[in-house]
Amino acid sequence: MKQPPLLQPSIHEVRPLPVPKIWHWIGGAILTLLAMGFVQVLVTNDNMQWGVVAKYLFSAQILSGLGMTLMLTVLAMVLGLAIGIILAIMRLSSSRVFQTTSWGWIWFFRGIPPLVQMIFWYNLALLLPQISIGIPFGPKLASWDTNLLITPFSAAIMGLAFTESAYAAEMIRAGIQAVSSGQTEAAATLGLTRGQTLRRVILPQALRIVIPPIGNDTISMLKFTSLVSVLALPDLLYSAQMVYARTYQTVPLLIVATIWYLVLTTVLTLLEHALEHRLKAEHQKSLAKTRSWFRPRFFGSGQRAY
Amino acid sequence: MTEPLLKVEQLRKSFGAHDVLRGIDLAVKRGDVTCIVGPSGSGKSTLLRCLNHLETPTKGVVFLNGVPVGVRWKGNRLYQMSFNELARQRQRMGMVFQAFNLFPHKTVLENVTEAPILVRRIKRKAAEVEAMDLLERVGMAERANYYPPQLSGGQQQRAAIARSLAMKPDLMLFDEPTSALDPELVGEVLAVMRQLADDGMTMVVVTHEMGFARDVADHLVFMDGGVIIEEGAPADLLTHPHHERTKAFLSRVLNTV
Ligand SMILES: Nc1ncnc2c1ncn2[C@@H]1O[C@H](COP(=O)(O)OP(=O)(O)OP(=O)(O)O)[C@@H](O)[C@H]1O
Ligand SMILES: [Mg+2]
Repeated sequence: MKQPPLLQPSIHEVRPLPVPKIWHWIGGAILTLLAMGFVQVLVTNDNMQWGVVAKYLFSAQILSGLGMTLMLTVLAMVLGLAIGIILAIMRLSSSRVFQTTSWGWIWFFRGIPPLVQMIFWYNLALLLPQISIGIPFGPKLASWDTNLLITPFSAAIMGLAFTESAYAAEMIRAGIQAVSSGQTEAAATLGLTRGQTLRRVILPQALRIVIPPIGNDTISMLKFTSLVSVLALPDLLYSAQMVYARTYQTVPLLIVATIWYLVLTTVLTLLEHALEHRLKAEHQKSLAKTRSWFRPRFFGSGQRAY
Repeated sequence: MTEPLLKVEQLRKSFGAHDVLRGIDLAVKRGDVTCIVGPSGSGKSTLLRCLNHLETPTKGVVFLNGVPVGVRWKGNRLYQMSFNELARQRQRMGMVFQAFNLFPHKTVLENVTEAPILVRRIKRKAAEVEAMDLLERVGMAERANYYPPQLSGGQQQRAAIARSLAMKPDLMLFDEPTSALDPELVGEVLAVMRQLADDGMTMVVVTHEMGFARDVADHLVFMDGGVIIEEGAPADLLTHPHHERTKAFLSRVLNTV
């Protein structure tokens, strides 16, 4: 047998060298070049007009647009979630009428682009010049001029919130179904009414389950609000558009809007991560503690789990 | 002889074509502990769940204090009760589940005070005083501020018992309260139940714990195939069963215990 060369150290004393990652280096070099090119365009291209960007970034008009964007996001989400909860409950009720109504609403508002809805709502007066409360085909109790009720703002909120309600309803329904039936039964044996069971036992647990997807929806909603510029509602984007319609500084003002959208989505993403992290930590803590009693229940004598 | 607290007459329950309960008659005296035993699938849980109408019986009536449960006369017509009407009757019957079913998003104390505040409409302070008393009784006072997932199965079940007692029920139903527990935790829950029996609580207990049935029950019921095969004093039934099926069941469970 051939002896190993004397210079070779003992295999126990050296650590094996890692496999060379040649493609990481090549890919990294290409991407670095591209990134440098991008930065060069940003910095040296005079069309960017960074001075203009700086001038408008904190201008009153842009900031009030920012406020409008935030308000639309919050209102549309709150309203959308509230309607979504009602739709989810109707969908799960034993009444065919409620089920079908809820199904129809979800089908309708999930199927129509929010932009189309907003324009439609805004032009509702063309279809219904008057909006009245009363008995169909019967007497009217009160009526209003549609053009007074429908403002760009209310049309925008309806378009955004109704779309959101359709998506939220499906998420919340899944959340409610994920809460075990044992919870409802325990509440029933304690004498809680239906409403109490829903409010105090089921919804708090279901909403906890749907917090991560709702966070996601909020970020989408923030971006969808930019659609309201078609209604000439001064949100972040439309405020920027109004400025460049006057000054023709299109690119720098779009950059101003872009910066603010990125800031807002970053903040929301961080918030969402923090929240999810907390929920996950809670969940894991509870799982670790419950493992000992889950085992006999699910893998034990083959009994029906409640 | 006084009217029994709970009376079941001609109770039947089917799920689709599957007849699970096929004519049950049963009386539970005030202050008595009734244990129900029988093989898996014999309909014990279904019977218990029919008592408080978690399942609506297909036929037959349950009387609590002589009043029919879940139905009501209006003139000479019989109506089903609405959910919220039924809720008022259900609070008279506490129920303890195999899977505990504590509310995981509330502390032990909140689990116990929830129903008294919402249903009995007493003040939070008063409810908390009562709750701490009950938690003391089941040995859970130190864990009052824990969340259920932070507790062992035995602790959760004891908290669940306290939660039911907080509604001051006339009757407590137990559906295999120790079957989901690790063996070393069974004793602490049975001890609480023994104490409860000694305090005079009327209890209906579905269980596989033959030792508990022998020592604590006043009345033992053996079910198989959706009917009561045999019932009587535990000492008699356990030592001198009449029916072949009772003998077979007892020899099986008593040998393996
Ligand atoms: N909701 C339901 N739908 C259909 N079938 C059911 C339902 N609940 C119970 N059953 C059936 O009824 C029969 C009796 O069930 P039950 O849970 O009452 O038995 P058990 O005596 O409690 O058994 P175990 O000792 O395993 O708990 C079983 O065959 C079961 O599959
Ligand atoms: Mg059972």
